[in-house]
Parts: sequence; C-alpha cells; structure tokens
Amino acid sequence: MISEKFTHFVEYELQAIAIAWMIILYTIKAIQLSRLPMPWEKETKKGNSTKGVMISYASIFMPWAVESSRDHFWRWLGFALYHVGCLVAIVNTFTFTFTPELMTPTVKIVFSILIAPAILIGFLKFIRRLIRPEIRYISTPDDYFSLLSLQLFFFTGIMALLTNTPFWRSSYYIVTAAFLFYVPFSKISHYVYFFFARFLTGKRYGWRGIIPQNTTK
Amino acid sequence: MIEAKKVINELEKRYTRLVGTSATNLCTHCGWCIESCHIYKATGNPEHSPVAKAEKVRKVLKRKHDWLSRVFPKWTGAADLSEKDIDDWIEAAFKNCTLCERCVVNCPMAVETPQILGAARGVLTSMGKNPEILTQLTDSAIAREENLKMMEGFFRKQIQKLEKQVQDKLGDPKASIPISEEADILYVPLSGVHTMIPAATIFNAANASWSMSLFEASNYGLFIADIPKAKKIVERILKEAERVKAKTLVVTECGHAYGVLKWEAPKWFNKKFDFEVKSLLEVMDDYVSQGLLQIDPSKNPEPVTYHDPCNMGRKGGIFEEPRRVIQAASMDYREMTPNRVENFCCGGGAGLVACSDWTEERLLYGSTKVDQIRDIKVSKVVTACDNCLHQIQELGEKNDLGITVSNVSQYLVNALVIPERGKIEKDKILQA
Repeated sequence: MISEKFTHFVEYELQAIAIAWMIILYTIKAIQLSRLPMPWEKETKKGNSTKGVMISYASIFMPWAVESSRDHFWRWLGFALYHVGCLVAIVNTFTFTFTPELMTPTVKIVFSILIAPAILIGFLKFIRRLIRPEIRYISTPDDYFSLLSLQLFFFTGIMALLTNTPFWRSSYYIVTAAFLFYVPFSKISHYVYFFFARFLTGKRYGWRGIIPQNTTK
Repeated sequence: MIEAKKVINELEKRYTRLVGTSATNLCTHCGWCIESCHIYKATGNPEHSPVAKAEKVRKVLKRKHDWLSRVFPKWTGAADLSEKDIDDWIEAAFKNCTLCERCVVNCPMAVETPQILGAARGVLTSMGKNPEILTQLTDSAIAREENLKMMEGFFRKQIQKLEKQVQDKLGDPKASIPISEEADILYVPLSGVHTMIPAATIFNAANASWSMSLFEASNYGLFIADIPKAKKIVERILKEAERVKAKTLVVTECGHAYGVLKWEAPKWFNKKFDFEVKSLLEVMDDYVSQGLLQIDPSKNPEPVTYHDPCNMGRKGGIFEEPRRVIQAASMDYREMTPNRVENFCCGGGAGLVACSDWTEERLLYGSTKVDQIRDIKVSKVVTACDNCLHQIQELGEKNDLGITVSNVSQYLVNALVIPERGKIEKDKILQA
C-alpha cells in the first residue's frame, strides 16, 4: 500500500529536487562552455546571421530542406513522433500535478495516444541500434540505457494516465526523478546542447551566406 | 611511446567552444550523418562514418571533460589516450576525412565533426605525425618569402613570358601583367600558369586596375592545422596588399586559399582588414553582369557542369557567382545532383590530393562524384579549386568519363570575344 505522504513526496519534493539538480548542472555546463574561446567572424558578412540561426533551428522541422531527412522521410517522421511523445510525457509530469482539473479523461487519452508511438519507435530504434553494423559500431552502453530508460518513462507515463492509481503515479514520478538526475550526464542532454550548437553553426553559415544561400543579384 | 600528457595539452589548446559543444553529449549517435559522407558511401566501412571518426577523438575529450565519462568511461565510450589512438587519428583526420562539412549540414544536432578532426590534425602536426608532404608544402610557402630577393627576378622573367601569351590572346600588345605594383586589385594566384594567364586575360579585357602578387595563395598550414605557420603565409600577402594600397584582394580559384584569406585570417589576426577580400569568381561575375566582357557562348558548345568546391560553397558561401559566369559562357549548362550546399566532395580535399601514399583511397573516395558526373552526361566539368580540378581530372581518366576539366576563368576566357585590333584603336579614337 502506497501512502499518500509518499505519493505527495515523489510528486512534489522529489521533482523539485531533481529539477533543481538538473538546472544547477546545466548552468555549470553552460558556464564552462561559454568560457571556452570562440573566434567570431571578423570579415564583413556576406549573408544574414540572424536568418542563418533561425533557419538552423527551423531545419529540424523542415524534412524537405535537409537531405538526411528528405531521403529518409519515415526515419524523420519516427524522429518527430518520438520527440512529440517525449514532450508530451514531460508536459504531463507538470499538468498531472499542478493542473489536475485539466486532465479530463479525453485529455488523458489524447496524451496517451501521443506518447504511445514513442514506445514503438523507441523499440525500433533499439533494434536498429542492435542490427545495423554501422550503428552498433558507434553505440555505447549509455545509448542503450538512455533508450530503455525513456521507454520506462513513456510506459509509466501512459499507465499513470490511464489508471491514475497511486502505484503507477508514484512509479511515473520516481522514474521521472531518476531520469532527471541522470539526464545531465547522458547523451539525452542533446536537447540542451542542440540550442548552443545550432546557434553557433547557424550564425557562421548565415554570416557567410551559406544558409540561406546567397542568390542576390 | 607517446607522451599522453603532452598530447592532451595540445588537444586542450584546440578545445574551442565549437569543439567543446560538439565533443559533449550533443551527438546522440543517431547515425543520420553516416550516409552523407562520401567516404563512407565509397567504402561502406563503419569506421569511416563521420560519427565514428569523430568518436575516435571525442572519446579522449569526453574522458577529460564529461562528468560521467570521468567516472565510468566505458559507459559512454570514453577512454584514456593510447598509442593506437594516435594511429587511428591519423587515419580518421588526415586520410579518411576531407573536412567537407557535409555531415554538419546533415546532422540534426549540427555536430561539427570537422572541427573535432581539425583539432586532431593540429595535435598530430605538433607531434610530427602529419603527412610529411603537407608540412613540406607549408614550409616551402614560408621559404618563398624568406628567399624573396633570389626568387623575385626569376619570377618576373617567367611572368614576362606569360605576358606575351596574354597579349597574343587579346591581340593587344599593351596587355600586361603588372607585378606587385600599386593598383586597386591585388590578385593572388597559385603557382600554376592556369591560374595566371586566364585571370590576367580577364583583368586586361575588363581594363581593370590590377597587379599580381609575388606570392601564391595556397596555404597548406590550414590543412595541417598549424595556425602560426598558416598566419605567416597569410601575413606576407597582407603586407603586400597594404604596400600596393590594394582596395581589393582577389584570391584565385582555390577553395582553401579563399577560405583562409576571406574568413579565417581575420579571425586569426583578430581584425577586419582595410581591403576587401574577394574570390576571382565574384570579380568575374561582376565583370560579366556589368557587361565589361564580350562573351560568345557558342565557343563553349559542349555540355558542361559545375562542381562546387566545399571550401568555396559549403564553407565559403559562393554558389551562384560561378554558375552565372559559366551559364553566360556556355550553350549547354547542366546541374549535378545534389549541388550547392549539398554537393558531394570530390574526395581530394583538405590536402588529400597531395598525399601520394593515399592515392588509391582518394580515387575511391571520389566514386560518388564519378556517379554524379556520369549521370548528367557532360563532357566538361568546371570547378573553382585546384585540388578539385586535379582530383576530377584523375577520376575522369581512371573511370573513362570522357571529360575535360578546367577552372572557371579558363572556361570564361575560351568564350571571350576579342575585338580586332583595328576596331580597338577605332573605338579608342571614337571615345577620345
């Protein structure tokens, strides 16, 4: 039997500690990165660095714009659905706790439907990592573990949504907290570094007129 | 035995924000970059994928900078530097990567693999483990300035001979190749005459105020990531440009030289230069669009295509200028697919074309380019980089593509309409 006190602890205090932990670690990492030397462009710009940054960020949503998405549309769609599932599962950790009035049965079903494909895609990603030699070659234990831990996060999320029992709610929040403690150390952190990397590359490409391609005249 | 501490120190010197960001947990090992790499496409070897090559260096960086990797290196694929790593780096950074940045464009995270492998190049150079020929070429460029007095007389004599060819081509005995004189444009060629005569013909035909540099634009210091040496090579050109009061420094058709003088050198010297830096491609485009050159495209009737050199296009932002010039001078222009920012490297970039020990591999790495050329059935390929030019020529011969290869200025000069001398004199009288 799970006590109400325990459920409350994992939903509130534990989450607050885990989020604070994550924020502190990311702040340290951001400071470390910002202290590294960064030789910015000095030559007069040929293009538009602001546009370059915007396109750099937006390109992830434009499968037609990048060959690796365009030529592998189904892979891109899987990637998109997987990340939608991630986003919904994360949003759910907040809405479940802080806005229970919004969590009507319909919303719960919609959230579950959005998260569910991520489980299937996660499974396919896992299989791909195992059977494709070029992917297996670059895979580390962290890659497999990160995938499996996300599977657990999605699964407990759906179970919590559909059953709303103290057991599944607590499981979901314990998995979430464990996840938050681990994420700053793992490759799952790419969602934070993504913004740094795409900014730097987009700025340079924009400045030099590489994106958008300089077709003036 | 390697001194691991020394190697790590050298690596740390090159640990910039770009390298640092790409060496953290940014890469998810998703593998989207794999098929974007012309080298992986040619060999199918999992070790040749961009992510696998980056990982050979990244694992050492992670061991030092990544929190989890410091405690549980095996968990993240991190490792301490070993003797074998150095050999792996030579393969990954010098032999199996042309730093073309195609993987960056195709990576959903924008992992800058060439930055990581570029850092490895620098470390290997500091250890004397880079291909010797690249160091020799770097040092010979530096020696040219050190022996300038001895070399200058010989150079001027050679140029006089070339001047005659330009005069014959234009039918104008007054056409000249001024050397290192005060003029609006200082043109920096390579050592080959194919970068001198066509450019000189174009400058004379456009009646430009120009002179030619005593030095060559090529800078192999970039390829071995030896920035002090690369700066030295650039510095002599900068000094000359200041001395001749150039308003524009025009870099010949050489991808890496353009990248160095246009984009990298201002960063190395931490200043914007007093003169503009342009590629010859941009200047030709200006002349063509301003109608300063008379062109007859029927002189170039054969089907032709343009190969985007990575340093000019994907790394330099020059895509349309050469296309406009070629299209103005051609009857049958065809576009390779993919092109521009998505173009495939020819396989000879980043100094690989100079490394004779790896010729067989280099020609294999060009197989995607061979397919691209074959698909569009052209008999001429025009490009704007000497490395690409040599590589595509060799690819054509080896694969019986039946193509000739030239740079853009050669192609343009072939289509130039040279007015008869009598008409020139008449025009001058009329103008007067």
